[in-house]
Parts: sequence; structure tokens; C-alpha cells
Amino acid sequence: MTYDLLDSVTLASSASSVTFSSIDQSYGDLILVSNHATTGGADIRFRVNGDTGSNYSWVQMYGTGSSATSNNTTSDHFFDYGTPTSLGATISIQFMDYAATDKHKSVLARRDWASALTLAAAGRWANTSAITTILAYTAAGSFAAGSTFHLYGIAK
Amino acid sequence: MGVVKLSTAGILDYSKTSNFLSGNAPVSFGAFDLLETQTLASSASSVTFTGLGSYSDYKHLQIRATGRSARADTGSEALLITLNGDTGSNYAWHRLRGFNYSVSSAAGSAQTAINLDRLMPNNNEASGIFGSAVIDFLDFSSISKNTTLRALAGANPAGANPTIGLFSGLYNSTSAVTSITLQVAFGFNLTAGSRFSLYGVK
Repeated sequence: MTYDLLDSVTLASSASSVTFSSIDQSYGDLILVSNHATTGGADIRFRVNGDTGSNYSWVQMYGTGSSATSNNTTSDHFFDYGTPTSLGATISIQFMDYAATDKHKSVLARRDWASALTLAAAGRWANTSAITTILAYTAAGSFAAGSTFHLYGIAK
Repeated sequence: MGVVKLSTAGILDYSKTSNFLSGNAPVSFGAFDLLETQTLASSASSVTFTGLGSYSDYKHLQIRATGRSARADTGSEALLITLNGDTGSNYAWHRLRGFNYSVSSAAGSAQTAINLDRLMPNNNEASGIFGSAVIDFLDFSSISKNTTLRALAGANPAGANPTIGLFSGLYNSTSAVTSITLQVAFGFNLTAGSRFSLYGVK
């Protein structure tokens, strides 16, 4: 198939993180879709391959209904996509050429939370290793029960 | 003799089943199918998908790309898109872009290509840094509409000027799209490793 569901997680109770591991390496791109809320006002963050180093850079733009903003960071320790406090916040992250070993890993993301903002972002993990694990976690607190995380593979 | 409806039951991978009916061409059952991929083994001036008329059973096309410019510089260049080999002033585009610390919008009309600005990192950036784009060509085989595209694309060069953009593009022609050409602005090559995958959407 071209667009396959690889793994799916629905939290029956709150959890501090969700990990997709041993990711199938036969696809071209990955798409991670989440519908989640976090407690404690915590941001949702992503890391790959267990890398806690300062190897993540990103740029984002977002509109809140009253203003539009762009910012960026280099040498961060994660991809950060903000603080949704109620279910209905969605994030779609596309990990491009995730299995390549000659490229840093580029990501394209959309974050939509109708009660707060709409956002688009591009990121780069400064490492040529193939992505084998993806960790979604909260900066503090936890994901609420009912949060969902789906990982898809796109053939190339 | 009655007509028997064939079932996909028991077919493990039914996206393309070449032997589904012996002697027939591969059959595609999906609504989103990989059609072609071009990954550059060496640098090239452009990438072109041709013969798209054979995909007219699809409604839309999508290109998923990771690319890099061969320009000996830092920063990044635009990715240019032309259709049907048409290099006339028949294109228009709009963009909404986050660039460094500012959001801006820009547009072009009567252009010779659809411009996805600052997406291809240049070759003096660290090796391995590529930009990426997901581009949808809507109703590409229609002969009653001008063809439009939309894209989400971005790049994070190490030096400066990271970019995220939402783009729309117009080909001011009602001709069905039969070819798509992608190239770096100012005639610079795409580097080896640049990858362009074409998908059909029903």
C-alpha cells in the first residue's frame, strides 16, 4: 500500500509520553497525527532516536485570530509544538525521507487548535541516521486520557 | 452468464497486484497511490514527470520532495515549477511565509513559473541539509479549469533564514497537465540525493 497505518495509540489513562519504536524502514516518509491535550500547561514535544542533544532546529508561523507571528530556534533539544489544554488540538508532522542515511531529517508540521491558533512549521534534526523511534512527550504533566497518536508510512 | 464481483479478500497487498488477472497490467485499488519516484544519483538541472495523461484516472496529483541546490553559497534558493513545458508568463502564485522572526505575504502574476521561495538549501550549507515540500496539483487533468496547486514547504539551513511557507499557484491554462518540471531558480542544479515522489489521488 502507499499510505499505511503503522501504529496507533489511544490513551486509556493519562501518560507522560508515547513512543513509536522499531519503525518500519521501508517507506519514504512518515506522518504522525495526534489529537491530544496536555495537563499542567505543558508543551508537547518530540524527539527522535532518543537524541536529547541540541540537534533540533525549527521555524514556525502561526495566527491567533488577532495577530500573526513567526519565530525560530536552532540547537534546541526537541521539536516543540505548544500547549493544548483540551482535546481537539491536532498536530500532523511529516518526517521526510526518514530512512535516508545521507540527509538530515526535515519535518513539515501543521498544528491546529481552533480555540487558539493555526500553525505551520518546518524543522530539521541535524543527524543523518535513519529515524527508528519517535518520542512524543510533555514538558511537564502528562497527556490526557483519550489522546490519540497515529503513525503512517508513505511509500516512495 | 451472471457477472461475478471480484473480492479483495485474501489479497495481502492489494495496492498493486500484478497477477490479479493473468496477462493484464497491474491493477491499483488504492485512493492514494505512488506513481513514480525520481532520486538524483548525480546533480541535474531539473526533474520532470512526463506522460501524466496516463494517470487521468486520478483526480489530483501530489509531489513529495526533499531537495538541495548546487549553488556554492549559504542560504537557500527557490524551487520553480512549470507545467506542460510552458515557460511563458502564464503562472501566478501567492505565499504566506514565516521567515526568521517575521510573517509576510507576497504574490506574483504573469510569472514564468510558480515560485516556492527559499526552499532548496544551497551547497555551502552542511552536507545533508535538504528542504522539503508537499505539493498538491488539483484537478490536473481537467480541460475546463485553470490548474491550481497548493503546497506546504520549508527549509532550515544551518546558517540563517529558516523558512516555512504555505503556497498557492495558478497555471493560467485549461489544458490538462501532462508534464511537471521542477528546478532551482537562477539555473542552479539540484544536487544528488534530491528526491521527488509523485502520487495519484482518486
